[in-house]
Amino acid sequence: MKPRAKIHDRRKSLSPAVIPMYLWTILFVAVPLFYILGMSFLKKAETWGVVMEFSLESYQGIFNPAYLKVFGQSLLIALLTTLITLLLGYPFAYFTARLPKKWRSIVLLLLIVPFWTNSLVRIYGWIILLQGNGVVNSALLGAGIIDTPLKLLYNIGSVLTGMVYALMPFMILSIYNSVEKMDWSVVEASRDLGAGKWKAFLTTTLPLTMPGIMAGCVLVFVPSVGLFFISDLLGGGKIMLLGNLIKNELLSAHNWPMGAALSIVMMAVTLLLIYLYKRVSGEKSLEGLL
Amino acid sequence: MKKQKPVLCLILAALLAVLMLAGCAINGDKDSSRPAGTGSSGSEEKVLNIFTWATYFPDDILKEFTQQTGIKIQYSNFDSNEEMLMKLQASQGGDYDIVLASDYIIEMARSQNLIAKLDSNQIPNFKNIDPSYQSKFYDPNNEYTVPYSAGVPVLIYNPDLVDFPIKGYEDLWNPKLKDSVVLMDDARNVVGLTLKTMGESLNTTDPDKLQQAKEKLLTLKPNILALDYNTSYQKIINGEASMGYMFTSQAATALLANDKLQVVYPEEGVGFGIDSCFIPAKAPHPGNAHQFLDFILDPQRSAHISEQTLYLNCNAAAAPYVEQSSLPDAVKRQVLTIPDDKLRSAEFIQDIGANSSELYQNIWTEFKQS
Repeated sequence: MKPRAKIHDRRKSLSPAVIPMYLWTILFVAVPLFYILGMSFLKKAETWGVVMEFSLESYQGIFNPAYLKVFGQSLLIALLTTLITLLLGYPFAYFTARLPKKWRSIVLLLLIVPFWTNSLVRIYGWIILLQGNGVVNSALLGAGIIDTPLKLLYNIGSVLTGMVYALMPFMILSIYNSVEKMDWSVVEASRDLGAGKWKAFLTTTLPLTMPGIMAGCVLVFVPSVGLFFISDLLGGGKIMLLGNLIKNELLSAHNWPMGAALSIVMMAVTLLLIYLYKRVSGEKSLEGLL
Repeated sequence: MKKQKPVLCLILAALLAVLMLAGCAINGDKDSSRPAGTGSSGSEEKVLNIFTWATYFPDDILKEFTQQTGIKIQYSNFDSNEEMLMKLQASQGGDYDIVLASDYIIEMARSQNLIAKLDSNQIPNFKNIDPSYQSKFYDPNNEYTVPYSAGVPVLIYNPDLVDFPIKGYEDLWNPKLKDSVVLMDDARNVVGLTLKTMGESLNTTDPDKLQQAKEKLLTLKPNILALDYNTSYQKIINGEASMGYMFTSQAATALLANDKLQVVYPEEGVGFGIDSCFIPAKAPHPGNAHQFLDFILDPQRSAHISEQTLYLNCNAAAAPYVEQSSLPDAVKRQVLTIPDDKLRSAEFIQDIGANSSELYQNIWTEFKQS
């Protein structure tokens, strides 16, 4: 009997092609993470840098009421940003995915092209639009709708606007991806079985696109806690996010252990929220993200 | 696992990366590489290693120096005084020939023996320096430093938008200024001005006094339009803010755009800082360094420097040349020279130790997110 050709077992052998991926992950994900973790347990030196001495000072420092308020405000802004991008992004992604193929790529291209510009430049663009003598105010004044310029900048509203604007594509692309590869026969079946438009949407389309929604929410929520330059520029330095706090600790207060501890706590809180959602909803679509 | 569209994943990853990079760009635009050459003593090679903030020495001055002397300049940047001190400690006072940094950090460097004494014979132009900027706490006998420029934060307001007289910090609390004040985004300076209104020092470390200052500062929040360290003058120029608290160089930029703006040196007393040049203890090219210091103290050149940086000039002999410059009178009279009596009441912002700094930072965090 001829021996069967040996089947190459992919799972066990280490193909040379994956080595770059491992190297990348170790060098740019694992090493920095452990560095930050280690840093968070050290002590701040008097002038610059850290003292090599184990300490829990930074973690105790986090329970400062002012810091806890920053945590609260950050989470609130992140949640609102996620919610708004979801409400605006879902219909956009849904209808884009249902367009004829040639239009789809044009719409996606139009969505992406502005993001080839540096996001700082685009945020400055918002300042030009919203400032006291800016485009929006001039238009409203010219149209006689208002008498005195509105204060549109340097408040929570302008920060939210900037966040939603900057993070919208993450939500749209994730949901688009789900809607596009959805099996429409399921929706047809539910319609055939007598479900109305909305009922069919809620019982078939929505659950089927849940992986995209969840991926989008995570991709929007996580960065929105940390995008300090948006709250610095559009919030006029008055809105403190976790990202601003970390930046201040690192660059103004030169307290690296504190900055590191805050980063660790931020990561822990984010992971916890995702984990809780998984437990509560039994959603399996986040497997790739956690 | 379901098949993912690789292109979409790539786009998402790229977007995320761009967004993160943009955040870094705000603070990461300054390169702080070490200088390459360290010379031999004895016959000095024609190299000068300068270490300071980016663009603090104007380019044309550096070029002129190289043209005249044939000494090649290697310019390295730091982002903060503390970073400078750390690098100077690491090289034990070597590597660099000229360092330009702030008063309080110079005191620390000197106490750690990282600074060389100057040879005054090699700097004949030292006599040009205004005595008001000499003999300060970090160099009481003027043996180590050459003052380069002074930073004084001032109040600046737009008389079209402010209809009451402005005398000092206390006026910032006037309810008429609701939502129209821009302050520099800096704990020591703003907590400091609050302390000044209470008749306290800018360097107060008494926790009770700081607690009182915090409560007073929190009542200022309704008047705050924005907190901005680097571009506050823009908000004054475009009329969004009617009053601001910023360094003289920034006030000068605002005045260049609108010469009707008014600058006020607060009656409670101004804050003060001097950036000075020094030669590190083991500088590889001390001869070249002395030559450079004398070069920039030349009155005409010194005036040219302050016309470009718009900082207060510490060089008395440069004053007539500043006066002749093509800058608008409002700039020359109000911010490139400071009234003598104001200078006498000026108080340095000094190092107050890690624990007290943290108190200031905490007040600041609470104020910002209140």
